[in-house]
Amino acid sequence: MARLGYALAAVLGLAAVGGGAAGMLGREWTLAVPWLVPLGGLELALDPLGGFFLALVGAAAVPASIYAIGAAGGAARGVGAYLVFVAAMCAVPLAANVMTFALAWELMSLASYFLVLHERERPESVQAAWAYAVMTHVGLACLLGGMLLLSAWTGSVRFADWRAGAPLLAAGARDLAFALLALGFAGKAGVIPLHIWLPLAHPAAPSHVSALMSGVMIKLGVYGLMRAGVDWLGGGPAWWGTALLLAGVVSAVVGVLYALVEHDLKRLLAFHSIENVGIILMGLGAGMLYRQAGLGGLALLGLVAALYHTANHAAFKGLLFLAAGAVVHATGTRDVERLGGLIKRMPWTAACFLVGAAAISALPPLNGFVSEWLTFVALLQNTQIAAPPLNLVFALGIAGLALTSGLAMACFVKAFGITFLALPRSDAAAGAREAGPAMRAGMALLVAACVALGLGPTVVLPRLAAVAAPLAGAGAPARPALGDWLTVQLSGDFASLSPLAIAAALTLGLAAPLVALRLAGASRRRRLYETWGCGRMLQTARMEYTATAFANPFKRVFDFFYRPAKRLDIEFHPESRLFVERIEYANPTRSIFEDWLYRPVLAGLHAAARSVRPIQSGSANLYLAYILVALIVLLVFA
Amino acid sequence: MLRQLRLALQTGIVAEPAPRTSELERVGERLRTDILRRFGRSLHIRQVDAGSCNGCELEITGLTGPHWDLERFGLHFVASPRHADCLLVTGPVTRNMAEALRRTWDATPDPKFVIAVGDCGRDGGIFRDAYAVVGGVERVVPVDAVIPGCPPSPAALLAGLLDAIGRLG
Repeated sequence: MARLGYALAAVLGLAAVGGGAAGMLGREWTLAVPWLVPLGGLELALDPLGGFFLALVGAAAVPASIYAIGAAGGAARGVGAYLVFVAAMCAVPLAANVMTFALAWELMSLASYFLVLHERERPESVQAAWAYAVMTHVGLACLLGGMLLLSAWTGSVRFADWRAGAPLLAAGARDLAFALLALGFAGKAGVIPLHIWLPLAHPAAPSHVSALMSGVMIKLGVYGLMRAGVDWLGGGPAWWGTALLLAGVVSAVVGVLYALVEHDLKRLLAFHSIENVGIILMGLGAGMLYRQAGLGGLALLGLVAALYHTANHAAFKGLLFLAAGAVVHATGTRDVERLGGLIKRMPWTAACFLVGAAAISALPPLNGFVSEWLTFVALLQNTQIAAPPLNLVFALGIAGLALTSGLAMACFVKAFGITFLALPRSDAAAGAREAGPAMRAGMALLVAACVALGLGPTVVLPRLAAVAAPLAGAGAPARPALGDWLTVQLSGDFASLSPLAIAAALTLGLAAPLVALRLAGASRRRRLYETWGCGRMLQTARMEYTATAFANPFKRVFDFFYRPAKRLDIEFHPESRLFVERIEYANPTRSIFEDWLYRPVLAGLHAAARSVRPIQSGSANLYLAYILVALIVLLVFA
Repeated sequence: MLRQLRLALQTGIVAEPAPRTSELERVGERLRTDILRRFGRSLHIRQVDAGSCNGCELEITGLTGPHWDLERFGLHFVASPRHADCLLVTGPVTRNMAEALRRTWDATPDPKFVIAVGDCGRDGGIFRDAYAVVGGVERVVPVDAVIPGCPPSPAALLAGLLDAIGRLG
């Protein structure tokens, strides 16, 4: 029964891919059921941007659902919520008025809330779901505020009417609406400092759900930012793009820094989602700034970079979450310090994780490289804007992106090396078994997507350019020149890239020495022997490099950011202090955002609640007195 | 104190007489041509202490110093058996080191050869038949050549290496 549900979700995903692709190719489609819900009724519309995100949701839902058929093992818990979740995510990019959008958005949030609460016996899950619910509803409040204000000012709840009406509004009104919408969408996208729900909720949910939440749900936040920034409001002053670009830089750098010191495999991936949303926002912010400056071609490039990275992140992060889920499924632990040696026990999963890790580290010829390169090309051309403060912002973006890429690679060397290489660090890891065929099929689909998006930008880019062209403002070419089938050529001669040639060169470079050795008549005799361990009799997992040790240099370099606390607990023998019975050492990092932002806000809320509590004494007499006073006040003022 | 200082200044540095250079150069040159012929360019040696008193090690270390400077003849001491063509084993192999020696031999890529150094390496020397000792190196791994002495001088070591390489060719 559960398997049927997941199969249905996969079919739904396929349909979404089909519909979305049609939308991207320019097919228009609308559905209006005015009587179904109040305030404008149910209204869906397909346009290129919505089509792109619809196809993205579908393309991520198919492998995740196939994986779930194997991973859930027939357990019924969560199937219904999963189906609603996928369906609601399909509806969000299609929604064409406020009521439809709010319904779809809230359904998506609620369904994912129940999925986060999957293991409701565990207190951590409950706490994660609680934090997620609070953050998502604060975001919803901002969104509804912004949307209702826009509806009131433009006199229509239909998004299509906003496009005509919103550009005519006063600058302050547009700024307020954008700020509210951006806050709401950024919360869903996991932009720092609204990110705290992500590292809690992603690990708590089952892995196929984490893959969808990270791969596409947070991307719907990006979708919203794109709609609000360049579509509904029709672009705005430079500070909109600047804010998004800077938020992107902060999210990318801070996200990857947190990921580096994180040793919970799924939390690590969740922090990388924050990082990648940051990279997407850099592209989007750059696009908005270029658009405001009237540079249509470059605006198009920024938006296309953002869209491409959105698709890429869905592919490789979905893959990584599914592979991490297979590891958790096989070993029962997410702590990398208790894993190791899995490459021998789970070769398929290890290979899939490696592809995902190489892709997210932006190594050619995989997909992460293409979109980060596009983002770089978009940022590097900022000299065409003659405004030094903005150039400075762009420079910050370039430096931040470079730092992020390097740190992300270091982080995935750690994640892959400690998880899959060397000796298993626990019995659970030693007894791990390879994932089943359905789970492997789900991962294989995403591996194929990573490779295809990495090798085929010459095919993908024109499609994305067609999606982004209507949003890039004045001066954007409808059919930009993007090179030929082999090479991507951007902004005239500014930059070019040929992933196929890179892939061919890499393959040749790897194969050439082998062929040369064979031709030179090298001996084919091989003698297998264990890893050289300096002649030690005993090599145990305790002698291995640990994730903590790997991350420690970074912890020291960035200690102003991590603010590590040192705790040393030594228990001496009761007879003599010369004999130590137990030593415990911990070096935890402290979150700046929790200490300096969320804790004061929560403390303020608690204080406010305490100060109004005397009113609610529980005494019936007092309540009767309130009623009397209220009545008198009303009579006096009426 | 002044007397001591004066004495120290008058005595100067006391050292052994330097070896005859012509003999060293002759042996070294022959080593170099042999190594060039047999090993293409250079010979990489992993030294294994299998329970030595460190007498042999002192002499071997002398080889790498500025006076003997064996690297000019194409010989190199390396830090891992994975990089080595030759194992230079010293000491009567103790029970505790026997397995480590065997593993080192296993970890050295083929083709390889083993030279036992010193009287202890040859047959256990003065430690022969002691309870903690397995015996000469050949009790544990196949030995291709022996350089006797307690300890062998650097010159003897070079001559022994030359002899060993010559015997292989």
